[in-house]
Formats: sequence, C-alpha cells, structure tokens
Amino acid sequence: MTTIRRFCCNDLLRFSPVNFDHLTETFNMSFYMTYLARWPDYFHVGEGPGNRIMGYIMGKVEGQGESWHGHVTAVTVAPEYRRQQLAKKLMNMLEEISDKMDKAYFVDLFVRASNMPAIKMYEKLGYIIYRRVLRYYSGEEDGLDMRKALSRDVEKKSIIPLKRPVTPDELEYD
Amino acid sequence: MASKFGMAGGIPERRVRPIWDAVDSRQFKNALKLSTALLSKFPNSPYALALKALILERLGKPDEALSVCLNAKEHLYSDEAILIDDLTLSTLQIVFQRLDRLDLATSCYEYACGKFANNLELMMGLFNCYVREYSYVKQQQTAIKMYKVVGEERFLLWAVCSFQLQVLCGEGGEKLLLLAEALLKKHIASHDLHEPEALLVYISILEQQAKYEAALEILSGKLGSLLAMEGDKLRLQGRLLAHARDYVAAAAIFQKVLESCPDDWEYFLHYLDCLLEDDSRWCKGNVGDQTQCSKVVVTGTCNLSHLTDEAFDSRISSALSFVQKLQTEVDNDSSRGPYLANLEIEKRRRLYKKSDDRKLMEALLKYFGRFGHLACFTSDVEMFLQVLTQNEKAEILEDIMKVHESPSILPAKALGQVMTSFRLQESTGVTFRLPAFELQSTAARMTEMYCKHLPLSKDLDPQENMHGEELLVMACNVLVQLFWRTRHVGYLLEAIMVLEFGLTIRRYVWQYKILLLHLYSYFCVFPSALDWYKTLDIKNILLETASHHILPQMLRSPLWPDLTDLLDEYLKFMDDHFREAADLTFLAYRHRNYTKAIEFVQFRERLQHSHQYSMIRIEAPILQLKQKAASLEEAECILENLNHGVQLVDLSSEENCKSLTFNEDMQSRPWWTPTPDENYLLGPFEEDLCCPEEFMGKKQANERETRLRKVIERRALLPRLVALSIQTASSSLKENVKANGSIHDNSNSSELKHLLEQYARNLGNSFDDAIKIIVGILEGQRHLEDWSPHVVDWMNYAVFVNAWNLSSRDLAHPDGNGCQFDSWNLVDNLIEKCTIELLRTTGPLLKCPGHDLLSLVQMVTETFSWHCLVIQSCLRSLQPSGKKKKRGSGAADHSHLPLCKAIRHSVDSLCAAVEKVTTWLKAQLNELEDEKLSFLLSSLQRNGCDEGPGQILEILEAEAGTPNPEVGFRISQMLQSWSSADVARKVIKGQCSVLSEFYCICNSKLKSMRALRQLIP
Repeated sequence: MTTIRRFCCNDLLRFSPVNFDHLTETFNMSFYMTYLARWPDYFHVGEGPGNRIMGYIMGKVEGQGESWHGHVTAVTVAPEYRRQQLAKKLMNMLEEISDKMDKAYFVDLFVRASNMPAIKMYEKLGYIIYRRVLRYYSGEEDGLDMRKALSRDVEKKSIIPLKRPVTPDELEYD
Repeated sequence: MASKFGMAGGIPERRVRPIWDAVDSRQFKNALKLSTALLSKFPNSPYALALKALILERLGKPDEALSVCLNAKEHLYSDEAILIDDLTLSTLQIVFQRLDRLDLATSCYEYACGKFANNLELMMGLFNCYVREYSYVKQQQTAIKMYKVVGEERFLLWAVCSFQLQVLCGEGGEKLLLLAEALLKKHIASHDLHEPEALLVYISILEQQAKYEAALEILSGKLGSLLAMEGDKLRLQGRLLAHARDYVAAAAIFQKVLESCPDDWEYFLHYLDCLLEDDSRWCKGNVGDQTQCSKVVVTGTCNLSHLTDEAFDSRISSALSFVQKLQTEVDNDSSRGPYLANLEIEKRRRLYKKSDDRKLMEALLKYFGRFGHLACFTSDVEMFLQVLTQNEKAEILEDIMKVHESPSILPAKALGQVMTSFRLQESTGVTFRLPAFELQSTAARMTEMYCKHLPLSKDLDPQENMHGEELLVMACNVLVQLFWRTRHVGYLLEAIMVLEFGLTIRRYVWQYKILLLHLYSYFCVFPSALDWYKTLDIKNILLETASHHILPQMLRSPLWPDLTDLLDEYLKFMDDHFREAADLTFLAYRHRNYTKAIEFVQFRERLQHSHQYSMIRIEAPILQLKQKAASLEEAECILENLNHGVQLVDLSSEENCKSLTFNEDMQSRPWWTPTPDENYLLGPFEEDLCCPEEFMGKKQANERETRLRKVIERRALLPRLVALSIQTASSSLKENVKANGSIHDNSNSSELKHLLEQYARNLGNSFDDAIKIIVGILEGQRHLEDWSPHVVDWMNYAVFVNAWNLSSRDLAHPDGNGCQFDSWNLVDNLIEKCTIELLRTTGPLLKCPGHDLLSLVQMVTETFSWHCLVIQSCLRSLQPSGKKKKRGSGAADHSHLPLCKAIRHSVDSLCAAVEKVTTWLKAQLNELEDEKLSFLLSSLQRNGCDEGPGQILEILEAEAGTPNPEVGFRISQMLQSWSSADVARKVIKGQCSVLSEFYCICNSKLKSMRALRQLIP
C-alpha cells in the first residue's frame, strides 16, 4: 500500500522513524538538497496509509559515454514496512527513470561486503557484483560495486565483472 | 575552487594556482605568504586583493578581511581600466558572504552589471546575489533582463519562479501570476517549451489561479508529452479534473492510475472521493500538494449527503467490483492496497448510512486474516478503528484473538498476529479498562512470548530486527501504566529492566532507547537518558525533529555542560543550513529544477520560523546568564553581546509567535508523554481515557502549540527583564535621583513596567492582579499548587517587580520608605515559602520519581540568580566609586540604611533557602549506595504475593539464568551478560551525579551569596 512520489523537503521533517534505524545514515542538509536540486527524479519516497513514510530512495545519474549510468546512493525502509517489497518497488522506479528518461546504460550501487541480507536482495533484483572496492567504507570495510544493465546496453557489456578488486581512488565517480 | 583558474584581472593562471592549492589544502599561512608576493606584483588588482581577503577571513581575521575587500571594491569602482570579471566578483562574494555582508557583494555585482550591460555571466552572478538576499522582485527583474538578452527558456522560468515567490513568500499580489502566465504564453507561442519542469511551473501558475480547465487543456495538448512518465501525467490530470469538480472524468483517470499501480493508496482515496463526489479533501486545496505535512484527518470528514441512496449504492458497488478486479490482478501479499480498499469502502458506507451493518468489522477481520501478522497492520487500520464504538472495538479484538489461536500457521506469522492483537489492545485503550492483575499478566505473557521466541532469531545477523522485539515495548508500556495506577516505583524500575534487557540482547533497537530515555528522565537519571539519546545518533535535520526527546528536560536540568553541547550542536546545524540554503536554491535554478527552487525557499522559511529554533535562541543566552550570575560584570558582558536582550524581545511579538512552525516528530514519543510539555505520569490515573491514540496529541496539537507559543512569548522577555532590572536597580540609587525623588531617565523603568505587564498578561493576569495573587499566596489565601507549572515564572516576576519598584518608590509612596521595602519582603517571603513547599513535594528522588527536582533547580538557578544580580547592582551603586571622591556627609549614606537592611535580609533569606536545599541534597547523597540498592531491589521482590511488581523481572532472570542452546551462541552470550543489579546501580549512580551537580551549583551560589553579604555596608 504504497504511494510512491517525489521526495520533498518537508519529508525530511517526517522521516525520523526511518532514519532512527542504525544502518540508515542521516546526511547533512546540503547533501539531500543537492540531490533534490540536481536529480529530483531520482529521489522518491514511499508513503503508506495515514501519510506515514515507509521508506525512500535517493540516487543520481552521471558518467560519460558508455558509463552514463543511474546510481543508487541510499535506499531504506522502516522496520514495520519491511518484507513487503517496497525496496524493490523503489529500485524499479529508479531503474525505469534511468532507462526510459535518461537512457542510461546501467544502474549501480555500493554495499558493504559484510551486508549479506542486502547483497542477497540486490541479487534477487538482478544486480551482479561487478567489482570489489577495497576499504571503501571509512578505509575499513570493502565495498561491493553491484550493477544491473539497462536496455541501452544491448550486449550487457557494463556488467562483465572485473577480475581484480579496485581501490577507492581508482573509482571514476565518488 | 580549482575550477576558478584562468586569466583573472590580468593575472596569469600559474601565479594564482599555488594560492588556491594552498587554500584548498587549508595551508592558510602559506597561502597568505604567496598572496602577499602576488600583491607586490599586482598591488591594485581587485582579484589579488580578493584572494588575500579570502585567506585573512579563513585565518580568523574578519576585520582585516573586510578592509581588504573594501579596498578591492574601491579599485573596482575607481579604476576605469580594470577588468571586472565574474571570477573576481565571485571571490569577493565568498568573503563578503562569510562576513555576513551580502549587501556589499550585491552592490559589487550591481555596479559591474551597470558597467557591462548584457554580460550574461555577471547578470547570473547578480541573480544569485538576489537569491541569497531573498529579494524576489530584484531576482525577477534581473531574470527578465537576461531573458531579453538571450531569449532562453530557463531565464524566463527564473523570472516566473521569482513572480511565484513574491506571491507565496513575499508581499506580491495575485495579479503577478497573471503576468507570469502571460509571459509564458507569449514565449510558448514563439518558442514552445522544452523542459518538463517548465511545464510543471506553468501548470502550477494556472492551478494557483484556479484555472484548472486551462491547465488541463495544456496537459492534453502537445506540451503534455514533456512528461515522460505516463503515470505522473495521469495523476496530475486527475488532480486537475477533481479540482475542476469534473468528478466523473477524474474518477476515470484515477481508475487508470490504479490499474497500473493498484497499491497507490493515496490515489485510491482520490478515486473514491471522486466517485462519491466527496469534495471534503479537495476543498482544502492541498491535495496532491507534495509539501503537505499534516495528516489528513480521516474520521467523519466525508461529505456524501448530497447523493441519493440509489446513486450512492450503485457507485459503491462499482467501487467494490473495481477493487475486486484489482485484487485478482495483484497475486501477492505485498500489495495491501486493494485489500485495505474494502475497509475504506465499508467505512464510507457506514458514514453515509450512519448505521452499523457490521460489514466494516467483517472487512477488518478479513484483512487481519491476510495481513494481521504484519507490523504495520495496526497503523493501516487505525483510521477504521476510529469509527467503531468501544463495544465494537472490544468485539473485534475478541474475534481477532480467535483467528490467531488457529494452530496451522508458521511460528513467525503466528507471533506477528499475536503481537498485532496486543498492539490493538494498547492502541484501542482496552488495557485501560483491565483490572491491574490482568494487566500484569498481560505484561508477563508479552515477556514470556518474547523469551520463548528468541530461538527464531538465532540465525539472524545482529544488525537485523529480531522476531518479537516489539513485545518488550508493549510490556514496558503496560508496566508504566501499572505504575501510573499504583504509584509503585517497582513497576517503573521493572519497565526500565525490560528495556535494558532487550538492549543487552540487541543494542540497536531505537524504540527501546526512546522509551528508556524518557523513563530515565522521569527518574531524573539524566546521564543515562543522555547516553541512550546519544546512541540514537541524532544529527543534522533529526536535530530539528527528534531532539524534543531530550531537550526540554535537559533545559531544566543541572547538567549544564551537556546542555551547552546540545544547544550548540542545534544552533550550528541551523546556522549552517541558513548560510548554505540560498546557494542550494541557486543550484536548483541552474539545474532547471524550478519547482525545487521554490520548495527550498519555502522550506527555509519554515525552518526560520521553527518553534524549536526560537526556543533555543532564547534559552542559550539564559543558560549563559545562569552560569555567570555570580558576577554582575560577566552577566552584563553576556547581556551586552545580546544587545541587552532587545532582539530576543522581538521573538515575543505576536507576529513571530503566530508564524511559529512546529516540526517536531511526535510519532515516536511514548503515549504517556505525548508531547515534551506533557507527562501523564505526573497526574493521577485517568481510567476513562479512551485510547492512547487520542491523547497522542493529534487532536490536541492546537492546544499544545498555543501553550508553546505562550512559553516563547514569556521566555523571550527574560533576558531583557534581567537587563532592565539590573539597570533600574543601579540607576535608582545613583546620584541621578532628584531631590523630589523622580528620576532623570526613567525610560528603563517604564520599559520594565511595560514588559512586566506583558509578562503578567502572559501568565493570565494584569500587573496589579499578579501582585495581589503573590500576596494572596503569601498570606495563605491561595495555594501554591495553583501555580504548579509556573512557580518559577511567578517567582521571577516577583524579583523583577522588586527591581522595578526600586525606581518607582517615591513615585508610588511619597513618604519614601514604604513600597520598595515591601517588595523586598515580598520576594524574601516568597523564596522561603516556595523553597519549603518545593522541598516538601519533591521527596527523595529514588522513592518519588517525577519532575519537582527540576522546579527546584530552576528556582535556584533562575530566580535566585536574577535576584542576586539585582542585589549586586544595588550594592555596586552603593559602593563609593574609586574615581569619585567619597561623599563627605553621612546623610546620603544614612538614607540608604533601610535599603541596606532590606538587602541584608534578602541575602540572608537566599542563603537560608539554598542551605535548606543543600541539606536536602546532602541527606540523599550521603545515603549509602548499598542501602539505595537494597531499597530499589526490594521494590521488585514479590515475597510470595501474586500482585505487585517483580513478576516480569523473574521471567527475565529465569531466561538469563537458564542456559538454552536453542537461542544460539550469540544470544546466549548476551543473556549471560545481563544483570538487574547493574541496572539498579546505574539508576542510583545517575541520580547521584545529577544531585551532586546540583549540589555543586548550590554550593557555589552559597559562596557567592556569602561574599555578597560582606559587601553590604
């Protein structure tokens, strides 16, 4: 029971039950607002009955040439609304926008290598581990760069896994 | 910064780059050296000067930076040959902005644009300046100029947004929208529109003028294709049709939306509204407005009476068959919408027919059968339960119990259903009518069930939510209710134990932490409350929405360093945001997301008017004054930095109080303290409460906001009252008292009187009545309890009245020695009476939790401090000044004798009061920890009784004490580390540190008062 719509500033004042979750980072204002100012179509919120915030996704589109892609910066769902495929709906929405509106080649995201439940979920959604990024999280934990090809990447070139891990400074984008 | 290279003001890039590099790597000293070298080569280059200013500002030399900037500006203006480019201006702008001199940056750009007309880059810079200053009219004029120069769509939209902002946030009339519309029309006729956001702005301009048909026409025309997502277009179309009251067409469009998104609950409600021609939601004019924040009140707002029975029935049946169709199409249980839709339809039917045909209850039960195991079930059905009678609620709960007793379902699902039924009991208020013993056994069942289901979670990642976690939340709430009914401290302690137990097993459960921090606060164990608060990692925007969990109690607590940190962190967040908000707005303009630019401005306004922001801006200096009250000079210094409290008085204006916004998220608060200024546990148990939902403050939001506005209005006066009291006290004694007793400059005194009248009015009385009330209290005709939440406010009032009275003595009492000494007496007696009374009602903390300690703290740290400052000010004026000659005659000194006597008496009574408090504190601090521990633990011993606290703890202890391999290694390790005595000790230690902090404050007060005593001539 989800109304998915564009995220707006006032939602920042209502998302605390989602962000109290210890795995959900509360970024500074300029971070959220830069995303809203630049990629409002990549920032969506799911609302339930009684206008309760169930979860949200924030992302962007960037890159050049064949690496023009959608990126998932954060996706999170409040505990009471988990296991109802909300994350999947939000991800599908972002993929659709990357695919149809921005004609991107793929969508990617980063996840902690230890976060097995999340990795499994992304795999179910069609993402594959493209490469490992060494000590991506605060110089401590490895990150996994996961990707899903979109319709424009007909030969699925963007998701051929890299054989060797990379370091954060080798990443093309932050 | 690195992108700013190039030839700037004729300086080659290679000379500038090292300076920017040094700035970027924060090597400011090195940067300054390089910049000095650059300046020796280009002494008149505004760019080189701007760079130097930038470095000086970063080095913390704002005055030097400003003067260098002004020098650069002068060169820009005076030297005709100098090249003015955006790089120079934007560098200057950075410095001016950091120096809070946006006006100077704007004037540089204005000058440059005047000199080089039609330079687009400079004009954009100027537009940005106006965005920073929120000058919508000038923004609009600049954008129009740019549009005229290049004819680009984006600049037209910048102008259109600026028109909209004048109407929405400025003082512009609605005819500006007409102008914006005309500009857009003209542009479209010649150039068309190319951006989806431009179309959205165009439509919003029409919507704001209620030109829905015109908007629909545009949407269905060629421009409509700009919206790439079909769903977005349909939603917008449906909304416009509904606003235009074309309900048939709107319902058809909403039906289409639902066919592609069957789970879209908001649009299902729109569909039903339009089908039934119920305009209650559309009338409010905010439907589909994504900025809406408040909940739509669902109960009883339907407006269906105009439909005939036949029409109503036929539409309901078509809705039912549509929903049926949707249900068959969604084949999984992840779409609750089409199923919940049945409940909504039945609710509307019930509201329309005003009778109960049980269909709603049947639908509810059916929904429970399918989704009852989900944690969100209760919040899903909350709005439907609200229309049921108490009896129906009880009945449905009974039926629900029967459903979940069926043994055929999976254990996790069964657990989910049981939890839902507990949750429903709580939210419908059924628990309020249960006898105490039943309530206790409910808590026991919840706790047992939690323990029993631990093995279900044994293979879960420690970061994942465990099964049955919420049971402990509910058990805690039941125990709190038992405490509320019985006042037995054991229940409260047991509630704490339950949550600490849960956090021992998994330390990430934020619901436990929030409950715990409120319980600890109620117990005055602020250090533990604060510790748990910190683990919630409340930062950035959460400071605005969630710090209400800790701030109000900390504001009154004696833990000043922690409080200072909290206030500083909040103010830093807000100030940072206000500093960068406009640049982010400009970013939205640049990226052509015009609707966001408008949204950002409105959001910034909302935060600017935040109630919490006002409160903290007032309380932060009050805290400083409290901390420095022992020294008049230091207090005066603080007041001087505050411009003597003058600006804060502005916050007290009616206009400011009216425009306050309340952004705190109350949903996460426990029902027993639904708002920061309410705690039901402080009053007697109210058996006839309907349900927690109803006193969660939703319907009382208005009352609460009115109350908080009053607090702001009152507290905002305080620093000014203190400042004026000090000034009045001293000027009344100086030599400016004329022979006839009138005072040369009595503007302070009359302002003080005026503010005191405002203060008294705020407390519900006139100036004179307020004094009569104080006298009435002292003479025993009134009871102190009548003041209970405002004791300290009244005491402060008495102190300020006394200060005012010092200056008006002879005006009021020509004999010259009546009233002023009466008011000293008034204050002394009030201090004595209130101290005794507050000490009597506070009781030993461990045995009588509650918040009276905080009133005591507030009395000592505020009232006593303000009074001491007045006394210090009097004494300073009585002291012969070092520079002046000592007065020869003893006559003048003699005239002060009655005053000296009054002051002496006042200081004595202050000392006596503080001594009483320290004695009380010492008695509690001296009690041995073991004695306290045994008291606490004995409150949980059952001694064979069935009733009374302790049962739940026994369950926890048994679980922790009995090895159970089924729970897995990790959980059993956690269980072993659990100790109830540790928790009890934490309570004792936490209370002790609060008491000793207060003790230290009292002691230092006492010291300074005794020193003051010595100064009295």
